[in-house]
Amino acid sequence: MSISRVDTIQRLPFPRTDAVARPASPSEDECEVIRLFDQHRNGLLRYTLSFGLSMHDAEEIIQEVFLALFQHLRMGRSRHNLRGWTFRVAHNLALKQRARNDGLRRTLYHDEAVMTRQRDDAPNPEEQAASGQRMERLRAVVAALPEQDRCCLYLRAEGLRYREIATTLGISIGSVSATLARSLARLGRADEGYAP
Amino acid sequence: MSESEPHPSDQDLLLAADGELSRGRAKRVRKHLDACWSCRARMREIENTIADFVHVHQRSAEAQLPSVSSSRALLKAQLAELAAKPRAGMWPRFTQFMLAPRTVAYVCAVLLLAAAGSMALVRQFRGQNQSESASEIDNDALPNRTLTPGATRPVAISDVCSMPHEEVVRAVPTSVRQQVFREYGIQHPRAENYEIDYLIAPGLGGKEDIRNLWPEPYTSTIWNAHVKDALEEHLHQMVCAGKLDLPTAQSDIANNWIAAYKKYFHTREPLVANGHPPFSASMGNAPHDPLEFARLEDRFGGLDSAMITSDRARLVCRITSARRTRYGFALIKGPRPPTNRAQQG
Repeated sequence: MSISRVDTIQRLPFPRTDAVARPASPSEDECEVIRLFDQHRNGLLRYTLSFGLSMHDAEEIIQEVFLALFQHLRMGRSRHNLRGWTFRVAHNLALKQRARNDGLRRTLYHDEAVMTRQRDDAPNPEEQAASGQRMERLRAVVAALPEQDRCCLYLRAEGLRYREIATTLGISIGSVSATLARSLARLGRADEGYAP
Repeated sequence: MSESEPHPSDQDLLLAADGELSRGRAKRVRKHLDACWSCRARMREIENTIADFVHVHQRSAEAQLPSVSSSRALLKAQLAELAAKPRAGMWPRFTQFMLAPRTVAYVCAVLLLAAAGSMALVRQFRGQNQSESASEIDNDALPNRTLTPGATRPVAISDVCSMPHEEVVRAVPTSVRQQVFREYGIQHPRAENYEIDYLIAPGLGGKEDIRNLWPEPYTSTIWNAHVKDALEEHLHQMVCAGKLDLPTAQSDIANNWIAAYKKYFHTREPLVANGHPPFSASMGNAPHDPLEFARLEDRFGGLDSAMITSDRARLVCRITSARRTRYGFALIKGPRPPTNRAQQG
């Protein structure tokens, strides 16, 4: 008995129904994904980087987010609030990646360049002299915030509404509002004790 | 809320500024602000703090954001590849019911038992004494974690996947080789017995560093350098096809490459031992070539697998619970599918 590859397909026990159930052509979904990528890529990248990930990891995550979005659309799932969806997925992937990196750092020697590259982007001394000191203080306040508070701030800064932030972080809208007010109060006090 | 009412809290002011208050409440806050200078000043402070934060946030990130065009191009390429593949999970519900996980589990169990039974019979018949079980790990096959924890260099996926072959299989300079042998206390090493191997291969972002090199025996172990080479190639392909992220590949191979081999080839024994297939001729033509396995994996990826061989034709039955709704059972015979090693650059 000879079984050809053509036979193989015909012998699959169940008929393929992809063509029947497809809600939109793949090209439409691809275009939609690229459109959303152009719109939100920078915001998502900034947010992902806020988890202390390298640019390489962050870019990988963004690619993964939009590939997942493509699958999401292709499977005919909800198209409601796709911006919130992408931030939610990026948030989860960033947490996962960071945990993985933490595990990796414990066992692996890392090239120093990876570590120093992250610090190269600090403003130069001239910039710091002009308005940098206050900015540095604000950065320090942000860095000292609890992670959830920091995530709230970053997500709001990327234009997400309270409901979207709540969904992304899995907290209530009231918590989002209280957290943001608390964080802004802390930021507002960043200059306390310093001469203007 | 009017000018005679208590002042709104900072939280209320922020909610008002963000347009998150109900219409009625927003109106009352607005009315209060019209009347109250101190609350207007507080509102201004909040807005200023927001502006400062946005400034800090965007300026610190903006400087390091790479151009969007190369990322977009990569995404487009990956989307096109993904779009070319049939979608999973689109079978009608009745097939899901027919092919419920329990059914698949039963079938898998029966097939595995049958396969295991036939293998045992063959071994008994041939009187093979498998004292050297492949699942036993020879100590030499794994590096000393203290001496060789693994070391990586910063690379992008595109760099790794566009590396020329000679770069991927780069030879280690003699001086470094001698250093590694000294470190491991191996005196008068014979070249044919050891490969000074990268724990994390250059093709996976491994670095030419004493911490990433160790003397890997070619001979006398089942888990030898040839087997590890097959794993490295497989992981490289998975990384370049976007199925595995580079840090995971690096970490898995550095932690225990034998465990990684078992995990990624879904096997307890090397698919190629000393360059020879592990299956006897009477077991049919099972996919002993790891690259062929990788191609099968490409088509029928999933976690659970059962391989059944027959002497008449190569029938590979891979039942995957992850994609059972799409494939169910599939019989493959005939020309090998073309290698679709994705090159992302």
